[in-house]
Amino acid sequence: MFRHLRTKLTVLYAGLFGASLLLLAAALYGVITSEADRTVGDELTASATVFDRIWAMRSQELQEGAALLSRDFGFREAVASKDAATIRSALGNLADRLHADRAYIVGVDGSATAADGRPIEPAAARVLASLDQDEDASGVFTISGEPYQAISAPILSPTLTGWVVFANKLDKREMTSLERLSAIPLQASVVYRVRSGAWRFSGGDQTGLDAGRLSRFVERELSDRTVRVRHLATAGGSSIALVTPLKTLSTSAPAALVLHYPLALALAPYRLLLEAAGAAGLLGFLILAAGSWALARGVTRPITALDEAAQRLQRGESVAVEVTTADEIGRLAASFNTMASEIRAREHKITHLAMHDQETGLPNRRALEETIGAMADAGDGRLVIAALGVDRFAEVRGAIGYGLAAALLGEIGSRLASLHPGRPLARLSTDVLGLAFLAEDALAARRLAIRLLAELEAPLSLGDNTIDVSLTIGIALQGEHDDLVPSVIERANIALDQARTARQKTALFDPELYGDPSANLSLMSEMLGGLADGQMILYHQPKLDLRAGKVTGTEVLIRWRHPTRGLIMPDRFITMAEETGHIGALTEWVLARALEEQALIRHAGHELTVSVNLSGRLVGDPQFAGAALDMIRGAPGAFCFEITETAVIDNPEIALKTIDRFKAAGIAISIDDYGSGLSSLAYLKQIHADELKIDKAFVLKIDESQKDALVVRSTIDLAHSLGLKVTAEGVETPTALSLLAGMGCDLAQGYLVARPMPLKELLMFMVDEEVGKRRRA
Amino acid sequence: MRRLVLLLVAVLMAPCARAADLQVMVRDSRGHPVRDAVVTYYPQGGGGAGGVRFDWPYRMAQQNLQFDPFVLVVPAGATVAFPNRDTVRHQVYSFSPAHPFELKLYSRDETRTVRFDRVGVIALGCNIHDSMVGFIKVVDTPFAAKTDAQGAAELHGAPAGAGVLKIWHPYLKAPANEMASAVSLPPSGELRRVETLDIRSPPIRRNTY
Repeated sequence: MFRHLRTKLTVLYAGLFGASLLLLAAALYGVITSEADRTVGDELTASATVFDRIWAMRSQELQEGAALLSRDFGFREAVASKDAATIRSALGNLADRLHADRAYIVGVDGSATAADGRPIEPAAARVLASLDQDEDASGVFTISGEPYQAISAPILSPTLTGWVVFANKLDKREMTSLERLSAIPLQASVVYRVRSGAWRFSGGDQTGLDAGRLSRFVERELSDRTVRVRHLATAGGSSIALVTPLKTLSTSAPAALVLHYPLALALAPYRLLLEAAGAAGLLGFLILAAGSWALARGVTRPITALDEAAQRLQRGESVAVEVTTADEIGRLAASFNTMASEIRAREHKITHLAMHDQETGLPNRRALEETIGAMADAGDGRLVIAALGVDRFAEVRGAIGYGLAAALLGEIGSRLASLHPGRPLARLSTDVLGLAFLAEDALAARRLAIRLLAELEAPLSLGDNTIDVSLTIGIALQGEHDDLVPSVIERANIALDQARTARQKTALFDPELYGDPSANLSLMSEMLGGLADGQMILYHQPKLDLRAGKVTGTEVLIRWRHPTRGLIMPDRFITMAEETGHIGALTEWVLARALEEQALIRHAGHELTVSVNLSGRLVGDPQFAGAALDMIRGAPGAFCFEITETAVIDNPEIALKTIDRFKAAGIAISIDDYGSGLSSLAYLKQIHADELKIDKAFVLKIDESQKDALVVRSTIDLAHSLGLKVTAEGVETPTALSLLAGMGCDLAQGYLVARPMPLKELLMFMVDEEVGKRRRA
Repeated sequence: MRRLVLLLVAVLMAPCARAADLQVMVRDSRGHPVRDAVVTYYPQGGGGAGGVRFDWPYRMAQQNLQFDPFVLVVPAGATVAFPNRDTVRHQVYSFSPAHPFELKLYSRDETRTVRFDRVGVIALGCNIHDSMVGFIKVVDTPFAAKTDAQGAAELHGAPAGAGVLKIWHPYLKAPANEMASAVSLPPSGELRRVETLDIRSPPIRRNTY
């Protein structure tokens, strides 16, 4: 209802005081009015009594005069003898003596004669004729609208022969003389009822009443019987009035005395008092209202300040309220200030926590997201996110502990921050830092990433330890492949993963490699369908036996000819099959197909060892091992499983046992991709393999790099020492082939020997080989 | 105003005779018996005029500041004595048109006489004592009587046949304070009538000495 406390207080106080004043005024007015009423009422009642007395005295005077006349023997004789002249003169004589205005003699037959001989008004005659008692009748009667006080005296001679009637006009003079007797200047009037039933004032209306209202008032007062003082509304304001019935000569024409006194006059003596009280009350009210306002303002000013401060606080502004008093409000203000500053501090802390990594104190991913939002808007080149992953973080952490591992990341971060001030930095995950910068294009971004590697991959001192730092960087550009992965940070992370998968130091986000997660799922169901539909085919990459000089084996590789997507590379769907658990089914299909094709190759007259790549996940799966052994038991030729050392990392015991089962079944085991990744001599020792395949990364540059040649040579020596045959992958030049042959390498694989090809081509290749060999031989 | 309420209950009893008795009961409107009502009967064709005499004294005494009797019935031509039996003096007068007269002051044990020749009502007053009122009813029929305290009056020996029965009372509300009704007397026996009259209450009389 009130928007402001001060208004509320002011209105409340002023309202209460005003109500008290009104009550007081009402009580004062009531007392004064009733006092005036009572005074005037007493006066009116007294005047009415006086009037009664005067009336009685006057009546008696007339009565006695009339009686005197009516008993006079001579008069009676004159009446009896109908001596009209004598009668009239006697009547007139007495009327003069009594100052009576009218005098009549009325016979028992109702005939009336006026003393002055004038004709009698019909109304008067009717009243006179109604006299039928030989007692003294008296009362008011009306002649020509003028009320008269009349008395009658019977003429008994000795029987009733008539009446002597005297009448006095109740005119203004009579009323004035009555009014003069009162202590207050009241107004006296005689009212009478005319034949129509309405009441009239004698001598005209002095109250300003309309006839209807007067009639109702008088009728009500007369019917009330008890004579009481009443209020009477008149044109000139309210009056205090008293109505007393008057005795009338004829009951059919009642009359009454109305005494009234204007209320205004009655209240006049108190007017000054009322006005003074009213003025004092009004003045008091104004003072109180102003005082309340001032007081309320004083009280509410600090509250208003608090209210405003609270609203500002709500809007997130930093606020403090001035504490001016030591009372409750002062304490409230102090508490508010404390609360506000604590809220700010907490808010700050929460914001910091929300935006920073706890372990390193570096901004977190969310902070970076917010910052790059602003950067992207700034324009000036394209926003690039570099995700810097610390290689083998888990191992490093295992070595130096969680605390130092986090410190390591923090140290890299601070190094990054000092080298690239102004480029937003964040810890994106446990082992990944993110750096945002602007670059013209992908190439520039990549160049910067390479620069970062150079800058950061230096040993770090942490406490007593010196730690080598190896990083992989994933790069993503804002605005590229947003449709695939909306977040550029996310893409950078994916790019990092892609780089690691590809064993590269840096990588741009590759949408092809990434695929579409939702599409991936459908890809898997399509893959399973493709296995049944014959969309999958096997390619063969021949292995050349350097000593024998002929192809002795083939590595089967799966290819997927998708009806709509075309040829899908295995690294795309095999990883996915591994992750989705479909690798078993896929490998079983490959095995089955490889067995079929081996039979065909054999049928064509060639004896080849068939190598099948076995996923690390399947090496630890005894169920698959059982199924695979069942299938291969009836193989038409030699079989080989190619696995990587990492296949035994997760669960070495089971994996090694499985490998032993394969071995026992006559299946050769080949260690694939040796030299890349975590090549472990321990595993090399543990895995009872038959063959070691040197990763093509070493073989490709064997004719250029002395170092690579050395590694390959020593690896070959090592393998031979362990009783393993060695296959070199990625043999692309004759030089390399001759080098390898010189090093004692057993088998060669690569484009120089043959590209992967379908069975049909392989069979033709084998024929050519035979022919060529024969030609060479 | 001058209203006459007449309830007529006639019971005819017929003994075989030339003359009949007339019994009249007079009551006021409230059923109380009315005394001092004068009942007269005028047979059709007259009869008995002249030489009418009544067997009560023709005397209107003044005693205890009252006329005694209140109503006196006399035949025309009768001389009525006015003996004063009070210790005070009286001045008896009448303004009645039938016979206005005035007897000058006379003392105790003095008697004045007045002869009334004309038929009518003479209202008597005393000029000294306003409260004194009396009436003399001068009649010209032998069949006249005054009701007693029980309101009863009897007329004897009236001739059978039609006639007029009149009842007068000083306060009867009727023209000349009298009402008349035609009756028919049976050849013999009695006629009984109950008359109800509207009687005005007598005025309060104050002496103004």
